Amino acid sequence: MAKNDVSNRATMGQKLIEMKDVCKYFKVSEGTLKAVDGVNLDIYKGETLGLVGESGCGKSTFGKTLMGIYSPTHGNIIYHGRVDMEITRKSLFEYSKMAQIIFQDPYSSLDPRMTVGNIIEEGMIIHKMYDKQRRQERVYELLELVGLNREHANRFAHEFSGGQRQRIGIARALAIEPEFIVCDEPISALDVSIQSQIINLLHDLQEKLSLTYLFIAHDLNIVKYISDRIAVMYLGHIVELASSEELYNNTLHPYSLALLSAVPIPDPDKEAQKDRKILIGDVPSPINTPKGCPFAGRCPIVTEICHQEKPMLEMKQGHMVSCHHVDK
Amino acid sequence: MNKVLQVNDLHVSFDTYAGEVQAVRGVSFELSEGEVLAIVGESGCGKSVTAQTIMKLNPMPPARIKGGEIDLVGKDIVKATEKEMMKIRGKDVSMIFQDPMTCLNPTMQVGKQLTEAIRHHQKLSAADAHTEALRLLSIVKIPNPEQRCKQYPHEFSGGMRQRVMIAMALSCAPKLLIADEPTTALDVTIQAQIMDLLEEIKDKTNTAIILITHDLGVVASMADRVAVMYAGKIVETGSAEDIFYRPNHPYTKALLRSLPTADMDRSIRLVSIPGTPPDLINPPLGCPFAARCIDCMKICQTEMPEFHTVAENHIAACWLLHEDCPKNPNGGVQ
Repeated sequence: MAKNDVSNRATMGQKLIEMKDVCKYFKVSEGTLKAVDGVNLDIYKGETLGLVGESGCGKSTFGKTLMGIYSPTHGNIIYHGRVDMEITRKSLFEYSKMAQIIFQDPYSSLDPRMTVGNIIEEGMIIHKMYDKQRRQERVYELLELVGLNREHANRFAHEFSGGQRQRIGIARALAIEPEFIVCDEPISALDVSIQSQIINLLHDLQEKLSLTYLFIAHDLNIVKYISDRIAVMYLGHIVELASSEELYNNTLHPYSLALLSAVPIPDPDKEAQKDRKILIGDVPSPINTPKGCPFAGRCPIVTEICHQEKPMLEMKQGHMVSCHHVDK
Repeated sequence: MNKVLQVNDLHVSFDTYAGEVQAVRGVSFELSEGEVLAIVGESGCGKSVTAQTIMKLNPMPPARIKGGEIDLVGKDIVKATEKEMMKIRGKDVSMIFQDPMTCLNPTMQVGKQLTEAIRHHQKLSAADAHTEALRLLSIVKIPNPEQRCKQYPHEFSGGMRQRVMIAMALSCAPKLLIADEPTTALDVTIQAQIMDLLEEIKDKTNTAIILITHDLGVVASMADRVAVMYAGKIVETGSAEDIFYRPNHPYTKALLRSLPTADMDRSIRLVSIPGTPPDLINPPLGCPFAARCIDCMKICQTEMPEFHTVAENHIAACWLLHEDCPKNPNGGVQ
């Protein structure tokens, strides 16, 4: 699928991660919960891939599977051309050196009984990086890199505001020099004026350290701003994948259309003119999903075939989309 | 238009071990029938405390109304006793909250919870109250209300729970509805449904709505007027058009510019407001935004600016608007 890619920046780069038919199922009392169901996706070196979708669509599970926190039920995750299908304790350890995650909630993701310095240093100790003195210097460097002071190293997480805590979380992720970072809703718990600080910081770090991001979020304006490519997820499936410009200007999938039109624009005139497509109903449960298109139950242009056959994610009108009713 | 609510110079403080937190420091606004006023601001700016004080929902102590007046359809809220408030809450003013799960009783059937509110304020038989509950559920577009009445809150999705909350809030046709971050916990497609529903109800019943939110998109889609709050004070008030297209306070401007718009890409850097809001135990002497303001002057740090009228019904509290302030220093105050 790489040859169909539309983003310049990504096509030039090499593949960092290849995912082939990745599934993550959970056994629950009512049946099987298909959180991620057959995702094929490549992530290129140096790009930011945005992943959007509503709560329960499987985007966080996807991020965690990619991190090795969950092992996929089936399918392959190929990192740097190396198959990591059966994640063993050892390969997971090596993998965690290359991939790190920034969590949504800066309050619950930092240990309240550790000093900020210890939190940042811990990863380096585990991976046996540097000697003690150099590690201390690295902690100071990292704190300054994310816009905090070296004096902050001896304080505890509760002494910081939400935005500052998120900076600590970023410093911790960067400590072991990863090349790939999963940002799992890193700004949704923050205030508007603080959000832009963190977005600018993530952007600067990417340029400075040539990082690759998977940016998971539900705020579409922010995702569009930060991403090279965007994948739209619904009930464990990728329904549309395109460069961010393309996705906004030439939206093809009916779900992406509804999602984009539901986002309120901070502009009263545009908001008044907007033709809002309101979806009926809620996101269906991912337990025992029907066999056809996952979006069939809420789709405004649903027909018989949608209930019968699951559409493939394929190249149509310039980008990847999975819908029976989009012409080639 | 009839005036529903008038708030004058309201001061609310919380007494804590660390000292007195001055959460609301002199807030004034008014609201007429059928009008939607959005109060926007960051967390901790006092927007929720203001709303809760209108209903006297914050426990006193630690909360304390230090001064000011609240006039709700001719009733003096500040002086009202708890007993009088019991009659006012739900009847004259009601509220919907951010998290519908924690606001519904998990051990009680949804229908029972609805009829409880109805029978508290209206003399209706159990059967009539039940019919009324069904009617309310169909107004908020809950399918199969008869069956849904017998279910418990955990059997409802987030959007459906918020609909139940709205039905409950509307049960006695209040003059004023306070919506405290009504869609923050919901997904965008569900948010669109709830916003649509609120709009429809407003048109039908002519209820005044106070919408508290930090999402400027939601504000743009619904509000008639906007009050921007910062550190316990309203810094700018105006019509939605005034605030979005002709903002005059540096905080409002910075807030609007920190949002990425659809036609922006990463080559344009987001404007961020450096620093964090001030501590309200020791609020700054002058303008609360002075420490983060790019156009801060000497006077800003020592004296709180007065409200200056920018246009009709559009006021902002900033020294830059004072007639003695040199206009456009450095080629333009932005």
